[in-house]
Amino acid sequence: MKMKELHKLMCGSLVLLATTLGLSACSDSDSSGSSSSAPTANSSSVNDGAGAPDGQEGSCDAETIGVNWNALMTKTCPNLSDYNLFKDSSDPTDNPNTGGMPYGLSTALFTDYATKYRYVFVPEGEKAEYTENEVLDFPVGTVLVKTFALPENTAFRDGAETVIETRLLVHRESGWKALPYYWDTENDASLAITGKSIANMTTNHNGVDLNFTYQVPKATSCTSCHSVVPILQGPDDRRQAIFKPIGPKARFLNRDFDYADSSMNQLVYWQEQGILDNLPADLSTVSKAPVFDDSTDIGALTAAEVDDAAKAYLDINCAHCHRSELSLPEPNYAGPAGSSGVNVEYNRVYADNPTKFGTCKVPVAGGHEDYSADVVPQDAGDSYLLFRMSTNDQRHRMPELGRSTVHQEGVDLIAAWINGLPAASCTP
Amino acid sequence: MKNRNLKPAWLKKSLYLCLTAALLAGCSSDDGKDGTNGLNGADGAAGAAGADGNGNQDPSLVTTSGYAFPSDAIFVAPNAQDGDNITADLLLALFDAPAGSTVVMPKGSFVVDETITVANANELTLTGYGITDTKLDFTGATGDDAFRFEAGLDITIRDFGVYEANKNGIKVVGVNGVHLTYTATIWEGALEADNGAYGLYPLQSQNILMEHNYARGSADAGIYVGQSNNIVVRNNIAKENVAGIEIENSNNADVYNNLAVGNTGGILVFDLPGLDQAYGGNVRVFNNESYANNAENFAGGGAVSIVPPGTGILIFATSGVEIYNNTLTDNETSAIEIASYFLSDADVANYPANYGGTMANGWSPQIKNVYMHDNIIKRSGANPRGTLLTDIVNGYTAPVALGGKGETMPAILYGGIGELLSNAGALAAFNGLITDQDAIDDGVNYNPYTAADLICANNNINDNEAAALPQFPDVNIGLVYGTDPTDNAPANFDGDGNPVPTLRSEPLQGNATLLNCTLDRLAPTEVTFRGKTYGCSGDDLAEPACSL
Repeated sequence: MKMKELHKLMCGSLVLLATTLGLSACSDSDSSGSSSSAPTANSSSVNDGAGAPDGQEGSCDAETIGVNWNALMTKTCPNLSDYNLFKDSSDPTDNPNTGGMPYGLSTALFTDYATKYRYVFVPEGEKAEYTENEVLDFPVGTVLVKTFALPENTAFRDGAETVIETRLLVHRESGWKALPYYWDTENDASLAITGKSIANMTTNHNGVDLNFTYQVPKATSCTSCHSVVPILQGPDDRRQAIFKPIGPKARFLNRDFDYADSSMNQLVYWQEQGILDNLPADLSTVSKAPVFDDSTDIGALTAAEVDDAAKAYLDINCAHCHRSELSLPEPNYAGPAGSSGVNVEYNRVYADNPTKFGTCKVPVAGGHEDYSADVVPQDAGDSYLLFRMSTNDQRHRMPELGRSTVHQEGVDLIAAWINGLPAASCTP
Repeated sequence: MKNRNLKPAWLKKSLYLCLTAALLAGCSSDDGKDGTNGLNGADGAAGAAGADGNGNQDPSLVTTSGYAFPSDAIFVAPNAQDGDNITADLLLALFDAPAGSTVVMPKGSFVVDETITVANANELTLTGYGITDTKLDFTGATGDDAFRFEAGLDITIRDFGVYEANKNGIKVVGVNGVHLTYTATIWEGALEADNGAYGLYPLQSQNILMEHNYARGSADAGIYVGQSNNIVVRNNIAKENVAGIEIENSNNADVYNNLAVGNTGGILVFDLPGLDQAYGGNVRVFNNESYANNAENFAGGGAVSIVPPGTGILIFATSGVEIYNNTLTDNETSAIEIASYFLSDADVANYPANYGGTMANGWSPQIKNVYMHDNIIKRSGANPRGTLLTDIVNGYTAPVALGGKGETMPAILYGGIGELLSNAGALAAFNGLITDQDAIDDGVNYNPYTAADLICANNNINDNEAAALPQFPDVNIGLVYGTDPTDNAPANFDGDGNPVPTLRSEPLQGNATLLNCTLDRLAPTEVTFRGKTYGCSGDDLAEPACSL
C-alpha cells in the first residue's frame, strides 16, 4: 500500500523535458569542453582531465569538479546527481562531464518505444580494448549510462518527452555493478532498488496512442539479462554468475554517429579520441550489425538484408539470455536461457544448426497448443517465437523483462525472416 | 531516502512491541490462526530471540516443519497483515542479504506482484513459517516466474507456498546446492493449459535435494529437475499436474518415497533433444506410489503434451534407468511405459537433419538399459488412451473380431522400435553423427543392443485382487515392436523392409520371452549440500527404501 502512495507521488512529478527550450544553448557554451572538440593527435585523449578513481573510499557527498569516480567505484549513492556525471545534473540526456561520450547502437533493444540516451565514461588514462564478438573490454572505472525517456510522439524524438529512468553499469574492481535510478523529481533521480511500476504511460506511435504500464526493473532484475551463468560441469563446480554489459559490442557500435562537429564511425572515433585500443586497421574486417529502427522499410530490404537485420534484432533483444558458450571468453558459461536450446547470437551461423534458432524445435518449457514449433520456416503464423514477441501475456511474452508493449516493427521483421527461411522438415 | 535499514530497526521495534504486548496480554498468546495475533506474537518472539538468543522453543520462531530461525534472521515485513503486498520488502531484504543469511517471510497470506529474482546467493535460506502458513499469491504479477534463483551456492528454500505464478513457481538456474523443502507450488481450480508450467523447477544445477514439497495444478511438470546432476527427490507429493515428477536430461537422480496422484503421468524420466546437457542417465525411481494418474492432458504445448493420460511412470528416450518397488495403482493406460523418441517422431530418415546437432553431443532417440523389477501393479489399463497411443490401444484392446487382440492394455508397455532398428543395423549411419567423446565413452551408439543395453522386467507383481479380475483379466507386458529382426513368427519387417508393429504381449509375472533379463543395479546418488551428504548413501542410510 505504501508502494502505491509512493508511486502516485512519483507519477505526479515526472519530469517533462522540452528539449528545445534553452537546453541546447548549454552545449554551445560548453563547446570548449572535451566531447565536442575535433579529433586530435594520438597523444591526447578525449578523457584528458576527466580524472580517475584513485582507489580511495568515495563519498556520495563529495564535491567534485568532474565525475565523482571514487563514489562510483565504492558507493551505492542515493541520488544520481551524487556521481556528478552531467554538467546539468537535472538533465541526463546531454552534456556529460569530461570523460563521458555519447554513443548509439545500430540495432537496439526495444523498450516500449522509449528513446535511449547512452554515454560511456572512461577514466582518464584508460582505454577499452577491442574484442571481435563480445562487449568491448572496458577498463575498471568505466561507467555506462543509459537514460530512458518516453517521447510524446515517436515520430518526433526531438520533441517533448518524459524522462523516466537512468541506469548505470559501473565497472568496479569486483566486476560490473548495476545501479538503477528513477526520476522521481524534476531535478534528480533516486536509487530504485525495488523498481517502479508506472501506470498510464502514453506515447503516440504512428498516429495511435499507446497506453501502458511502464516497468522500471528492480535492481535484482538486472542480472536476469546482464549475467552469464556457469554451465556447471559437475557436482564440484562452484562457479558463480558473471555480470556483463550487453550493447557496446563492436558490431553494434560499428556505425556512424552524429558528433557535435561531424558524423563519424563510432569505433574509429573512439580510437581517435583515445578511449579504444586495438581496433583492426581494416574496418571491413570488423563485424557490423545493420541499422534497424522503426523507420526501416522492411519491404524494401533484400532477402539477405532481412536475414541480417533479423539476426541483429534477435541478438540485441534475445541473445543476452539466449546465448551459449559460442564466443564467450569464459569457458562453460552461457546466458540464463542458454539451457532452452535456443541460442540466437549474431555471430552464430543459422545454417550450421537451424535448431539453435528454434527451427522445428518444440519448446522445452511450456509452449502453446496453437504453435507447433518455436520457428516454423515459411510459416510465421505457426511459430511460437513470433507469438511470444507479439503478446503481452506475462506467461508467454518475450523478452520477459523490459517491455509492456509489442514492438510491431520487430514483429514484422521477424515474421519476414521466418517466412523467408529455407524450408525445413516442419515447414508445411 | 526511501530504503529503510531493515534489520536493526525491526529488532528494536520488535523488542519494544514484545514488552508492550507482554504487559498487555503476554507474548506467548499466539494462537497461530488469527493473522493479527499471530503476527504480533511473531514480533514479540523475534524480540526475545534478539535479546537473549534463546528463541528456539518459541513456536513463533519455528516453522511448522520444525526449522528454527537463527538469531540473526532477517524478518521481512513482520507486521504485514493478510492481503498486504510484501513485494518491495522482500526485494529489499534479498537484495542486501549477505552470505549465510536467513530471510524469513511473514506468516499469513500475502500478495507478491513481481518476479522475485535472486542472483549469486551464497548459503541463503529463504523461509516462511510453513508450507500452509506462509502463502504468496502471484495472481496478476508481472514476470513469468514467481521466484527465480540465478547462480549461487547452497541455497535453502523452505516453508512457504507459491500460488498462481504466471508461468513457473520456483525456478533455480545454475546453482550448486539447492535444498527445496516444505514448499508448495499451487495453481488452484480447474486443470487448464493456462495454469503455470513448472512448479518446482531446478535447471542446470548441481546437488539438488527436494523433499516434503507439494505441487498441484501445473500444466507442465509439478516437481521437475532438468539438465542437472546429483539429485535426490524424496517424500514429495505431486497431485494433479500434467507431469507429476519429471527428471529431464539429468544424471544421477534418486526419486523415492514420493506420491504421485491424479496427474496425467505420475513420474517421468525424459531426454529431450536440443539441450545443453544433451542426455541424462543413472536415474533410480523406487518405492514411490503412483496412482490414479488419469487427468486428461491439459498441457498447453511442449514435450509433456505427448504424455498419455493414465500413465504411472513414463521413461522417454533416457537410458540407464532403474524402476523398482513402486506401487502403481489405478492408472488407466499403463503402469509403466518405456518409449524411444521414435514414439514422438517416427521420421527416422530426417533425424540427422532435425536432430543432427544434438545427436553430435550425445542425445539419442534410443532407450537402453531400463530395469523394472519388484513393482507392484494393480488395476492398470481401465481406460487406455492418449493421442500417440491410439493405434496401439486399439490394437491391444479392440475385440478380436474387429482385428484387435481383445486384451487388457499392457501394464508395462515398451515401444521396441528403436531396439529393432538398431538390431537390424538400420541406424548404424547415426554413429557417424556423434562427435562428443564423452558421449561415445558413455556408450552412446546405434549398434545392435548388447546384454547391458536391454530393457528388462522381472519380479514385478500383479496385485489385482479377485474382485478386480473380471475387469482386468490380463496384466501383461506388451511390446509394440518385436526387437529381433530375424524373428519370423510374427515377422518384424514387411516385404519392403519396413518395421511392422506386432503388438506382442505376455503375462507380467513369469514373463519368459518378453523383457526376460536382468541388469546390473544402478549406483545410489549422493547430494552434497553445505558440506553434508544426502540420499541413500548419505543421511538416509537407515531408510528402508534405500535397502531395496
